[in-house]
Amino acid sequence: MLARIAQELFWLGRDLTRAEHTARMLDGAFHADVAGGPGGRGIAISWRGVLAVIGAKPLVPGQGKPGDEAGASVPSLLTLSRREIAPMLTLDTENPAAVVSCIYRARERASTLRDVISTEMWEALNGFYLSLGRYDLEAALATGPYSVYQEVKERCALFWGVLEKTMLRDEARSFLEAGGRIEEADMVLRMLRIAVPAASLPDNTLDGSTTHEAEAMALLQAVGGFQAFRRSVHQVPTLASVGSFLLYESIYPGSVVAALAQLQDSLETADQAPRSSPPVLRLGRLIADLELQQRTQQPTASLIELLADVQDELGLIDHDIDERYFTIAGIPPVHI
Amino acid sequence: MIDGYTIPAGSWDELLRADGSAQPHVATLIEALQRLGPGALLEAGQRRDAIFMQQGITFEVAGTDGERRDRPFPLDLVPRVLTAQEWTVIKRGLAQRIRALNAFVDDVYHAREIVRAGIVPWSLIVSRPSFQRPVHGIRAPGGVYTHVAGCDLVRAGDGSWRVLEDNVRTPSGISYVLENRLAMTRLVPELFAGHRVRPVNHYPSLLLGALRAVAPAANETPTVVVWTPGPLNSAYFEHAFLAREMGVELVEASDLVVREAVCYMRTTAGLQRVHTIYRRLDDDFIDPLEFRSDSVLGVPGLVRAYRAGTVAIANAIGTGVADDKAVYHYVPEMIRFYLNEEPILENVPTYLLSDEKVLAHVLERLPELVVKPTSESGGKGVFIGPHASKQELEAEALLIRSQPERFIAQELVHLSTVPTETGDGRLAPRHVDLRPFAVFGEEIRIVPGGLTRVALKEGSMIVNSSQGGGSKDTWVLDDGEFLEASQAEVEMRQPPRLPDVRYGGWQGQAQQQQQQTPGR
Repeated sequence: MLARIAQELFWLGRDLTRAEHTARMLDGAFHADVAGGPGGRGIAISWRGVLAVIGAKPLVPGQGKPGDEAGASVPSLLTLSRREIAPMLTLDTENPAAVVSCIYRARERASTLRDVISTEMWEALNGFYLSLGRYDLEAALATGPYSVYQEVKERCALFWGVLEKTMLRDEARSFLEAGGRIEEADMVLRMLRIAVPAASLPDNTLDGSTTHEAEAMALLQAVGGFQAFRRSVHQVPTLASVGSFLLYESIYPGSVVAALAQLQDSLETADQAPRSSPPVLRLGRLIADLELQQRTQQPTASLIELLADVQDELGLIDHDIDERYFTIAGIPPVHI
Repeated sequence: MIDGYTIPAGSWDELLRADGSAQPHVATLIEALQRLGPGALLEAGQRRDAIFMQQGITFEVAGTDGERRDRPFPLDLVPRVLTAQEWTVIKRGLAQRIRALNAFVDDVYHAREIVRAGIVPWSLIVSRPSFQRPVHGIRAPGGVYTHVAGCDLVRAGDGSWRVLEDNVRTPSGISYVLENRLAMTRLVPELFAGHRVRPVNHYPSLLLGALRAVAPAANETPTVVVWTPGPLNSAYFEHAFLAREMGVELVEASDLVVREAVCYMRTTAGLQRVHTIYRRLDDDFIDPLEFRSDSVLGVPGLVRAYRAGTVAIANAIGTGVADDKAVYHYVPEMIRFYLNEEPILENVPTYLLSDEKVLAHVLERLPELVVKPTSESGGKGVFIGPHASKQELEAEALLIRSQPERFIAQELVHLSTVPTETGDGRLAPRHVDLRPFAVFGEEIRIVPGGLTRVALKEGSMIVNSSQGGGSKDTWVLDDGEFLEASQAEVEMRQPPRLPDVRYGGWQGQAQQQQQQTPGR
């Protein structure tokens, strides 16, 4: 298929998944903020953490351009709280990381792909786009953001559900799903890296298992999967156990390994010669590495370093995907 | 919003003073409510009903046409707020009371020291319908009988707390405590601003920990199950909620089987040993071989397994003897007897009517007193003297005379009030009680706050949800010197630096290329 089409499908999947995970994260941060009270006791998903998840890229309007974010604007970002951050990451169309921006982009891509995706998928997405314009998001966000984020989650689920029912299991679908899955793995890794403290975890979990319980529950809430965790791990949630669950639990569809495994499936379907495809090979090695890590997991192993390594590797896979499928005839990949 | 708010005579208001100003600890809350205004409060109420209906947090009521239909659970959006200082007293008082009740259950089924000491008459104990002879001599694992307890507290006109009732069988309502808090943070987050409210969502972990702690010794992690009588039970929502939140199986009688005095559940992988059963049905139904033989909800042989010590049952069989309304009278004495301490929380003055003299005295003062049947629960058969007509008074007197031992009389407590939204967005005082929930495993842990039940009818003091009661979120503030958080927890963490998120797509590439071309 056309490289252009494949790339647009891939990024349609990414944008939608990013919208959904950002919504979940904001909902979790908001809930933890309100329920935890001022002072931020027991909050893993702080507003600072939320900004860090997307790499401190979005800036306060009028406070510098993305280029100089390292120096001047970082301190001003740190003083922001939910009053500024929640709208900025939800509604601000100027901000590419905002939930609505992701959805607008996804809808724009879908409109150029109407011959490739099914009509029902297009309608699900366009209906989503239209519903966002229909009611006063700002007011809804001010009174109770829960309904806004709930809408985002449900509409995204509708899109993927319709896809499941209506789209051929062909190359096009594979690229769309590959985008969704790589984004999911990336977002979950980011959330984990923010929530898991750098200090050695296992000690905390041994002597005071409830110490981090509130944080662990906030993390589960912000990623989704609270009930799945309860049914799978018969333990009080701790940051260590939740971290392992979200990283390794292959039967939980939202975990990093599950996302990677599905990404592998998709790429193998899409690729003409998967056995000699750099992204597929690299992905296979990463999955095998993770499995080894899980089996030989040392109690004192630093989860935080592992998470960083996995994310770096995922970045390379992302790069390989660009190289192999999209950057045909010399157009370089864009990182804005 | 609170114009014309008049606190009923003799009652204490938890949020406002007589002159309409806020109690000091809730000044910011009252301001936030005023800022919100009646319109926004009503609108939040509509969203609440929609969310509760969607989530299935409902209860059945009979409509005017007699048909039963689901209504969203009535959560009032104005919270009830306790200071850390008040809570510390309540918490200590409850822990003390529950320790004494637990000791009493143990004593009743073993040495009966309290009877020999002449404090509680044996004839009273054995005549309680909830006294269970079959468990005589059985010591529950860990010596814990009252694993889950919910005592009903009321606040009198002078602001003092009193225990109105104990409940150590299967107290329900904790699911509403958790759901109420979640709903409040979603519906009216602005009310939380400026307050530090202690979280409640760790209850399922506490409960699971306690249920595991009392399990008989096992090599593997003990298997805990929640046992429900079935979906038709009025508290089924809570049973399912607890099983889901703890991540354990919700079982019915047909799932359990006892072989060779060991309890198992039927699974697709064969029989699986069960170590602790958190049962949500009455003693009478749990084992047809020992109790009611007509019970189809029970598991034959369960008491045999319990006696053999292979399974823990929470709460233990026979605990009902401790929360009987006639035994309630003796609880302060129990605290002195077993713990050698003075009760921290007092009883409401109560009269046992088996004594001729007391009976005569009570009948004389009937228009001022509250009379309760000892064997009923859920507010059934409660008679409130001051609210009764002349005819009702005569009928009640007749009833009491015919079987005086079936009733107790209590002084009327003017329940405290909390501002409550009354349907038009305005606030009016409504009477409340408080049911905190305690979990007893290795130690007694009490979730901050509890279920505040509110009588939604003006002037009514019956708060039971089956009788038109609603509920409120209960906040325990973390304030001042009573701060329980360790400083380490407060310390903020510096988030690590992550790579920026990527943005991409063909359009972006093409544009960039175009933009770059002129420069080359």
